[in-house]
Amino acid sequence: MPECESPLWPCAMTGAAACLAGFDGITVVIHGSSGCYYYPATLLHVPLHGTFIVENEVIFGSEARLLEVVGEVAGTGNRIAVITTCVPAILGEDIRSMLEGYDVLLVDSPGFSGNIEAGYAKALSLLAPTVDPSADGVNIDGVCMFDPFYRGNIQELRRLLGMASIPVGTTFCCDRLEKTRSASPYTIGTNNDFQSGIGEYLGDTLGIEAIRSSFQKIGDRFGQSDIAPVEKELMQQEEEIVRVCDKYLRRFDPPGVVIFAGASYAEFAGQTLARYLDADIRYIGSRNEPGVSQYRTGFVAGLGEARTLLEKYEPDLVIGSSFEQSVLKKRAFTGITPPLRGNIRLAPVPLAGINGTLSFIEHALNACMDSKQQEAIR
Amino acid sequence: MTLSPLPTNLSRAGGCTLTGALSVTPQVRNTVTIIHGPRGCSHHNFSLLHATAFDNDQVAVPALISTGLGETEIIYGGEDALARAISSAADRDFCAIFVLSTCIVDTIGDDVVEVCNREYGMPVIPIPSSGFLGGTFQNGVNNALIAIAAMAEPCTKNAGVNIIGEMNLEYEVEENYREISRLLASLGLPINCRFVHDLPFEGIGSLGAAQLNILRHPALCPVGTYLEQRFGTPFVCSFPLGFEKTLSFMESVAGACGIDGNLAVERERSLQEKIIDDFGDLSGSTATFDPSPVDPESIRVAEEAADVLHINIGQQGTGNLVPANPATGTAGIRRMLHRWRRSLHA
Repeated sequence: MPECESPLWPCAMTGAAACLAGFDGITVVIHGSSGCYYYPATLLHVPLHGTFIVENEVIFGSEARLLEVVGEVAGTGNRIAVITTCVPAILGEDIRSMLEGYDVLLVDSPGFSGNIEAGYAKALSLLAPTVDPSADGVNIDGVCMFDPFYRGNIQELRRLLGMASIPVGTTFCCDRLEKTRSASPYTIGTNNDFQSGIGEYLGDTLGIEAIRSSFQKIGDRFGQSDIAPVEKELMQQEEEIVRVCDKYLRRFDPPGVVIFAGASYAEFAGQTLARYLDADIRYIGSRNEPGVSQYRTGFVAGLGEARTLLEKYEPDLVIGSSFEQSVLKKRAFTGITPPLRGNIRLAPVPLAGINGTLSFIEHALNACMDSKQQEAIR
Repeated sequence: MTLSPLPTNLSRAGGCTLTGALSVTPQVRNTVTIIHGPRGCSHHNFSLLHATAFDNDQVAVPALISTGLGETEIIYGGEDALARAISSAADRDFCAIFVLSTCIVDTIGDDVVEVCNREYGMPVIPIPSSGFLGGTFQNGVNNALIAIAAMAEPCTKNAGVNIIGEMNLEYEVEENYREISRLLASLGLPINCRFVHDLPFEGIGSLGAAQLNILRHPALCPVGTYLEQRFGTPFVCSFPLGFEKTLSFMESVAGACGIDGNLAVERERSLQEKIIDDFGDLSGSTATFDPSPVDPESIRVAEEAADVLHINIGQQGTGNLVPANPATGTAGIRRMLHRWRRSLHA
């Protein structure tokens, strides 16, 4: 891996913790030092446990310490998941044998093995969810506690599925553990960067077109569903989006935009701004490996690269995280990528679903108009 | 969770030496810090510095370069990756490069010092910071301060005072500094150098000029001792907490600098009496200290404040919860008392 200035994305260990901590019924133990523990613990805002190993355990072995911590958290009825960090992963200890007395899910997901998506996928694959062909409803997919929109996305998808009279199956990954054993045969997504691969994927819900397409498939699969209310709301709210964007364009030129986000959210942002604002999407800096895109796209790992791209493409509007916000020079900014520091966020705001698109457009337009007003004042 | 005691005097929850060192080195302007390890370590710490900067109304975060070790380097060694990263940084417009190691690098046995000692046309300063294998967060802070101090040479003394080892990640870092500055100004003493907080690279050279060093916290005593040996500068071992300790701090500083501080101390005592008077409405209240973890010194200060205000401190559940985490000096107590009033009048 080449050197990188100010890395922007968390490691695989954090991804594994973000996946497993979402399940009620799992106790997550980070097997590593306090330094490794603090990051996911403060990022995810959920109870995590740690072995907090010190030098002694590296020299003389970590078995006693690991058994001490696992023994303490055992007996609650929860399944225990042990996630290894960098140093324990290369010590060569047979952790599985050490813990054979416990029903433990061992996730070998050290930081050097990849990024957050890799750790999330590995943890979920080890959890091995299964589909129950008789299970009713549709699973909600792509939920990761690292994502600042995860709570809002769940609420919005539950609302839309409810409108269509479709029960909610299992939410990956924010649900009761036992529901991973009886997932529904069908799934819709909120963020394709964290796909579970469970059930037949009916599409995502990022953007009006994607929602329409996914719910038409739901309508085809479920005879008892009634997607008409969803289609009606899609039509009404899209008209509203067109109205406000048209009003904006009567006064202002479309913004030139550079986007920094995971590939899935970035593509949504680009397509939405191009479709409704005729925005010029100048570059997408993807936090992970970019997929197929109609826009100029590349993997951007560090803030140094992001700064260079901002200087090169001189966007009017930047979509990204507060990392990018910290190097902006009086440009409009909308945050869709973690971290989003400098703002208090309490309400569960979605990015997926109809309300997610409305919220995104609303923030982007307000950011552009605020920027124009600031320019006028200057 | 269990934090079982260890045979050595180490704390399991002591944090990471890398984070400690990183709370220091990016505060030297016109320098760059290289973190020799996987990207994740750098991201975790960069994210922390970023969050802290936003909390302190500073938007820009200094550059950190990760050597980006992956599985290949973990297996075959990462020294080449470190040399490449240093060479690349040396081509840029910096005054110096700090190199911090991580626990995984220490485990695989990379010789970081040897790589740093090669010729790059720029000072390259390795700082021992092997994650949890190098000790705790505080060891990282101390190691970084001593490594940077070693770059300075003894020089002619002036009337100024150095502030040593400010806790750059704490929420009230600027407020604590302002309070110390106020106390020193009332004694007629200027600040020579904030070592290290937003310090120009050239400012390191003036470190030895101060007549006195004031340490942020007693855990910095190894740094104070090092500076005393290197520059002959005596030190006061902590910022003051609480009414009485603030007055005795002023007396200690005045004594160490050979000045008469009586007038300044009396003015400060009058200010404290006015504060006590201002919060007289809290007298007779019953409160309980917030049960979140606090150190004994903070409890002492909170008990002192409760005592002078005639606030009854009861057992858990017998009164409103009040925070027992005072900030520096008289102003720190005043801010804590405002929070007490909010709680006691809630």
